Amino acid sequence: MAGGKQHTITALVQNEAGTINRLASLFRRRGFSLASFNAGDCEDPGFSRLTLVVNGDDVILTQCLKQLTKLIDVVECEDLTPEESVQRELALIRVEPTPENREAVYKIALEFMAKTPKATEKTVVVEISADIREVERLIETLKPFNVTEIVRTGVVAMRVE
Amino acid sequence: MEALVREGVDTIFGYPGGVVLPLYDEMLNWPQVRHILVRHEQCAAHMADGYARATGRVGVCLATSGPGATNLVTGIATAMMDSVPMVAITGNVNSWAIGKDAFQETDIQGITIPITKHNYLVTDVNDLPYVFAEAFYLAGTGRKGPVLVDIPKDVFTALTEAAFPETVTRRGYQVPGAPPQEQVEAAAKLIAEAQRPVMIAGAGVLWSEAFEELKELAEKANIPVINSLLGLGTFPRDHKLSLGMMGMHGEATGTLAVQEADLVMGVGIRFDDRLTGDTKAFAPKAKILHFDLDPAEVGKTVNPVAFVIGDLKKSLQALNPLIQPTARPDWLAQVKSWQEQYPLVVPEGKFLSRTVLQALNEYTNGEAIVATDVGQHQMWTAQFYKLRKPFNWLSSGGLGTMGYGFPAAMGAKYARPDAEVWAVVGDGGFQMTLQELQTAVETNCNVKICLLNNGFLGMVRQWQELFYDNRYSHVAMGSPDFGKLADAYGVEFIRCSRIEDLEDTLKRATDHVGPVLCEFVVEMEENVYPMVPAGQSNSGVIMDPALTHQESHVAASFETTHRR
Repeated sequence: MAGGKQHTITALVQNEAGTINRLASLFRRRGFSLASFNAGDCEDPGFSRLTLVVNGDDVILTQCLKQLTKLIDVVECEDLTPEESVQRELALIRVEPTPENREAVYKIALEFMAKTPKATEKTVVVEISADIREVERLIETLKPFNVTEIVRTGVVAMRVE
Repeated sequence: MEALVREGVDTIFGYPGGVVLPLYDEMLNWPQVRHILVRHEQCAAHMADGYARATGRVGVCLATSGPGATNLVTGIATAMMDSVPMVAITGNVNSWAIGKDAFQETDIQGITIPITKHNYLVTDVNDLPYVFAEAFYLAGTGRKGPVLVDIPKDVFTALTEAAFPETVTRRGYQVPGAPPQEQVEAAAKLIAEAQRPVMIAGAGVLWSEAFEELKELAEKANIPVINSLLGLGTFPRDHKLSLGMMGMHGEATGTLAVQEADLVMGVGIRFDDRLTGDTKAFAPKAKILHFDLDPAEVGKTVNPVAFVIGDLKKSLQALNPLIQPTARPDWLAQVKSWQEQYPLVVPEGKFLSRTVLQALNEYTNGEAIVATDVGQHQMWTAQFYKLRKPFNWLSSGGLGTMGYGFPAAMGAKYARPDAEVWAVVGDGGFQMTLQELQTAVETNCNVKICLLNNGFLGMVRQWQELFYDNRYSHVAMGSPDFGKLADAYGVEFIRCSRIEDLEDTLKRATDHVGPVLCEFVVEMEENVYPMVPAGQSNSGVIMDPALTHQESHVAASFETTHRR
């Protein structure tokens, strides 16, 4: 992590040709370190809400917010602290345990309140939606059981009020 | 075309091609819009830029898809770095062919994302009226900048009944207005407390047209005014409080005044590295107070103790009534003593670029529109051309684009046909865009070209001399016989290489109606001083060695020897 801490920024943007490109370009061009980038439809048709996780100190964060706000597509953006927001990440973890460990994998999933939406003879797919630390803890716990692929969405965040 | 006319566009700079054929065909029906046919699209963008800087209005350029569009890129980037209002229109291949690598297809929207304020790819003709209205609105409001509109060929030919909007609003985009009153009051308090204040006025003053307010503030509180490179002309250079430019090649007085000041007010500047030198050593004794309309500029390179965010004209209008008239005789005397000790010098008996520019300044009384290229001649023009009025200074400050000067001067001349316009260029930069001589001849564009020919890429040569042990690597510039070149184009030509011919050359050039190329064959190895080496502290400004009365060339010694 490049100096400082991680910040979760949410932004409301107007959807146009090139919007995502323009946002991504800003981070690359100004050397802001982007840990994750998430975009999806929201309550306003024609607009999207983004959640960006940015690494850096306060100076970098302030510049990042100002530069984002300056983009014409960006309607508003803010830095969300964990206290005032709900922050969640979804992860899919494919595990290929030995037959004797299969039960253990299901048991761990249950403990983490994770789902196991699909499985084959060889594999179990574990699905979790939680805050990052919880997701990472689950991954660590499953590692001894032969994790073969991990897909994570990156964080989405919402202000509580 | 209707969109352009509605926006009050009277001139566009362009170059036709396959996919913009429909627009060029329609153009014949709109005689009120003048089209200037350039010889390279880069120059269409520079001319639109020159048009904008000389008027404050949005400049418009036009190019076809593919190479036509990519040729605009340098001109668009130049405008972006200097916040120049511009709308660039490009054609693209038919919308169904986009993404299929069609002939002359390029992703100009993607290419120009980092160098435009905003850009559009219009795929539905019904969007076109609104997009154009919004493009002009975005380009010409707030912090101005270039906006690109990319239009596929089939959208050009499609018809729409969609109405032009009466007003444009966009969620999340607000044109800065008056600043918060508490910011203004805090600023007034800092000014009231300051003993040794200076202002650095930049292009923000130009675009907000806050000249009168700036002058009122300076005179009321007796604050010396420095200009950034792009701010030249926003404060009359012949004013007793004007210190000219500061920084890497600015006048020593401004540079030293900032190092000694207790309050440095940035007014519409972005504290660029050429101005601040090493930011850690910048204005070490001062509180910094920043006025700008772009909040992203506050704290980007230096840390102000206070700021006023809003339209500069409104900010200064709110501030001025809170300012107590102050005399500051000691501080002004100190500033004056620097001016006397460290004046700009033009060594006598040699035919130097400085000799020519000093003569040009005197001959035109500082009242011409002057456009420059980039390099030594640009810095000397900034130093010696004593601009007295705004909208008369065209120079690529941020991007530093060689080849900018001549086409920008032409753009200014088309915009303001009654003004005297000079392009000051070097032999290097001029060779990048001299093909526009043909455009100038065809339109009888009455610009005067002051070509300072020293046979070198002078600024690069200077750095090689000073920082690379005189190892000259690829800086000797061969040139064609400019007289024959001018003949070939049918341009009036005057060559001058002696001081005694200077005045006659300038007179003949200005008397002639139409483009004139004046080649001044100057001393080959002449250096720009003062100089702050890149990234170093402004306190270490190197004075002109020709300043003979000085014991040391490093101003740091000033503090011990000349401190009051």
